[in-house]
Amino acid sequence: MAIKPRVPVREQPVEQRIHNFDSVPYGYNEEEAMAEAQRCIQCPDPPTCEAGCPVRIKIKDMNRLIAEGKFKEAYLLVKKAHAFPACTGRVCPQEDQCEGACILTKVGQPINIGKLEAFVADWAREHGVEEEGITEEREEKVAIIGSGPAGLACAADLRKFGFKVTIFETLHKPGGVLVYGIPNFRLPKEIVEYEINKLIEMGVEIKLNITIGQNISFEELKRDYDAIFLGTGAGAPQFMGIEGEKLNGVYSANEFLIRANLMKAYLFPEWDTPISVGKRVGVIGAGNVAMDAARTALRLGAEEVYIIYRRKMEYSPARNEEIEHAREEGIIFKELVNPVRFIGDENGWVKGVELIKMELGEKDSSGRPRPVPIKGSEFVMELDTVIEALGTVPNRLFLSRTPGLKTDRKGVIQVDDNLMTSIEGVFGGGDAISGAATVIKALGEGRRAAEAIKEYIDSKKKK
Amino acid sequence: MAHKITRKMDLNSEDFYVEVEAPLVAERFRAGNFVVLITVPHGERIPMSIMKAEDGKISMFIKKLGKTSWELYKSLDQFEHVIGPMGKPIDVKKYGRVVVASDLVCGHAENYALCKALKEAGNYVISFQTFPTAEEVYPEEVLARPVCDEYHLTTEDGSKGEEGHYLDILEEMLESGEKIDIIFAGGSLPNLKELGDLTKDYNIPTIVTVRQIMVDASGMCGACRVFVDGEMQLACIDGPMFDAHKIDWDAALRRPMMYVEQEKIAYERCKKLGRC
Ligand SMILES: Cc1cc2nc3c(=O)[nH]c(=O)nc-3n(C[C@H](O)[C@H](O)[C@H](O)COP(=O)(O)OP(=O)(O)OC[C@H]3O[C@@H](n4cnc5c(N)ncnc54)[C@H](O)[C@@H]3O)c2cc1C
Ligand SMILES: Cc1cc2nc3c(=O)[nH]c(=O)nc-3n(C[C@H](O)[C@H](O)[C@H](O)COP(=O)(O)OP(=O)(O)OC[C@H]3O[C@@H](n4cnc5c(N)ncnc54)[C@H](O)[C@@H]3O)c2cc1C
Ligand code: FES
Repeated sequence: MAIKPRVPVREQPVEQRIHNFDSVPYGYNEEEAMAEAQRCIQCPDPPTCEAGCPVRIKIKDMNRLIAEGKFKEAYLLVKKAHAFPACTGRVCPQEDQCEGACILTKVGQPINIGKLEAFVADWAREHGVEEEGITEEREEKVAIIGSGPAGLACAADLRKFGFKVTIFETLHKPGGVLVYGIPNFRLPKEIVEYEINKLIEMGVEIKLNITIGQNISFEELKRDYDAIFLGTGAGAPQFMGIEGEKLNGVYSANEFLIRANLMKAYLFPEWDTPISVGKRVGVIGAGNVAMDAARTALRLGAEEVYIIYRRKMEYSPARNEEIEHAREEGIIFKELVNPVRFIGDENGWVKGVELIKMELGEKDSSGRPRPVPIKGSEFVMELDTVIEALGTVPNRLFLSRTPGLKTDRKGVIQVDDNLMTSIEGVFGGGDAISGAATVIKALGEGRRAAEAIKEYIDSKKKK
Repeated sequence: MAHKITRKMDLNSEDFYVEVEAPLVAERFRAGNFVVLITVPHGERIPMSIMKAEDGKISMFIKKLGKTSWELYKSLDQFEHVIGPMGKPIDVKKYGRVVVASDLVCGHAENYALCKALKEAGNYVISFQTFPTAEEVYPEEVLARPVCDEYHLTTEDGSKGEEGHYLDILEEMLESGEKIDIIFAGGSLPNLKELGDLTKDYNIPTIVTVRQIMVDASGMCGACRVFVDGEMQLACIDGPMFDAHKIDWDAALRRPMMYVEQEKIAYERCKKLGRC
């Protein structure tokens, strides 16, 4: 049986998009979505794609409903599995999950499940589709720390169960990484804002500008709420710890992206926050964060942008779509090299990096070949801006002020099978309990935690 | 959400005083904390020291420097966000004889707050406030005189109070063998470095405010990194006050200069719009 190729996704032309922060893919329209969904061969149960989905979306049924033009039904079905399909359709690593598990990969291209998921969510937003509301109002109060996907997902479900829900957020805008980290050209901010406004309409209270452990203590929350959910993420940057990190022009990807996204430095000087991007920009690392930083630097006017990676790109943890888009946009991949030190000029600005060549050795704990430095292969590359995208860890500010909370060495919060932490009545989910992971995992855990919190409060009430 | 400005007045030709409603910050402020302002919806996150916190309001001293501060001076009667208290408060306890010194706007605000807290903890508090000339001395009502035990107003040209910078006068005091158990200081970074050089020889613990450029001010970005005893620390959550004897001053002095070009652009634009 010949399998038709995927319905192509229309995108902003490269020459145009490298000068703006608008969404790169335009997404499917109704006809395109139906045609793509009709490619689904409706495998016998259980379909492999669903096993690949961390939250077990009923993908096969979603495809069927879209193929029949029943978009609203498709949307409500997806929403049963998780809260924010418009986001995950755009940012999930589909090739490692649903699409990677799609049976069609054996004979051709898998169904474009990500774009179909985004399509139904966008369609529902444009058509004002409403979901079922709150079942019964309840007296109990739950505090949620952090307004990233984990916190938002947990809040949505707890509110549907009828609890009084308050989210506390450090920053002046809610959304976590969805707002401060992932650029607009991948995840338009109005999509996240729409979802958050829905929560507010449902009665979820969001208190911005409050850092629990700093402005309000964890003990106060414990006293005032029946249960607490920790969706604090893993937002603190790691640095290489090599010579030259003090130099001006050396950024963590977090700082670079917070300036660009949250503070809208790409609109400077209409917006006040400045950002510094030289002609030659080097981004250390090759994950999603590195791709985002590189493509942001390009859009901010850099002439040459390098991804500096110690392995080969085939081992990059970034989404395929991002690597592809980065390549199309002219990002240059320097593989098998690792920084030894950053070199400064007489004014203390970075002017280059000394790199050492690497070769791939035995497999390491991540299952990828370990990069090993080649002695004596050092060379210097000129750069005006360096962005370190080495991954992030949980913020020690909160951890150091929360006595009794068990974490591992890196500050990752430990939880039991019910997502309860070492403190009774305190639950956790998302990056806070796993280190930097994915949006869908955070959404899934937010939902599971909401169930567990409900059970916890119910059982306490019975006693 | 907006925070109303309840009082604004000139302190001297460059600095002004702002009092703003911020009940949460006011209730929880402790000496050493600072606050983050977002003055307008498109604004930057700007850290500011706090002089005092009373009746749901906080008071700050602000220098007319660039876009944010000039616009605030000329055109604003409210802030979009007032966020805090941020940073680590100092360890307020009985040290004995304590010096608190300042020579610039932020330092003067901290001077008041630190003196007050340290005096309440039973210390003998000696405050130094240095201004360039008599004309530039702040109004009496905001000086630290009433909240310390021994007050030294100094001007660099000697036109009011004692003549010289606090560094000179402190050096004389130390040379004459006067006993000082700890020093807290804020203001000009190069002078804080010099203070550290001076007190190192006398082995006096010296805790100074290391002002760095901040973004989130909650440990998420690393913009404010300073190097203390060879270790990377974050001024926003580990500071902003650090041991002057252990700071890598070269880096700390350089990093605040990172956006000088852009700051000029922002200011010129604001001026053209008639808001600065
Ligand atoms: C640049 C970038 C690109 C990414 N790209 C992808 C991608 O393409 N696909 C994908 O699946 N994943 C991606 N990720 C990872 C994904 O964003 C995270 O796994 C996900 O956001 C985790 O959600 P969370 O809710 O656990 O935490 P976060 O989104 O980090 O949210 C945590 C929130 O808690 C707040 N907070 C923390 N401490 C406190 C406190 N004490 N008091 C109050 N508030 C607090 C923080 O300010 C933050 O808003 C990316 C991450 C980054 C940084
Ligand atoms: C802990 C702390 C306490 C401070 N207390 C005071 C105070 O009490 N009074 C006062 O006038 N100033 C204080 N500052 C400095 C103040 O934040 C800046 O001067 C202010 O941001 C200037 O903004 P602007 O737009 O007017 O000037 P700009 O032209 O934008 O900047 C002028 C200079 O201010 C510094 N600066 C700019 N942006 C920031 C930023 N986001 N964070 C820190 N520094 C920055 C830079 O060195 C810059 O060159 C403090 C800074 C810190 C870190
Ligand atoms: S300001 Fe971002 S870590 Fe301190």
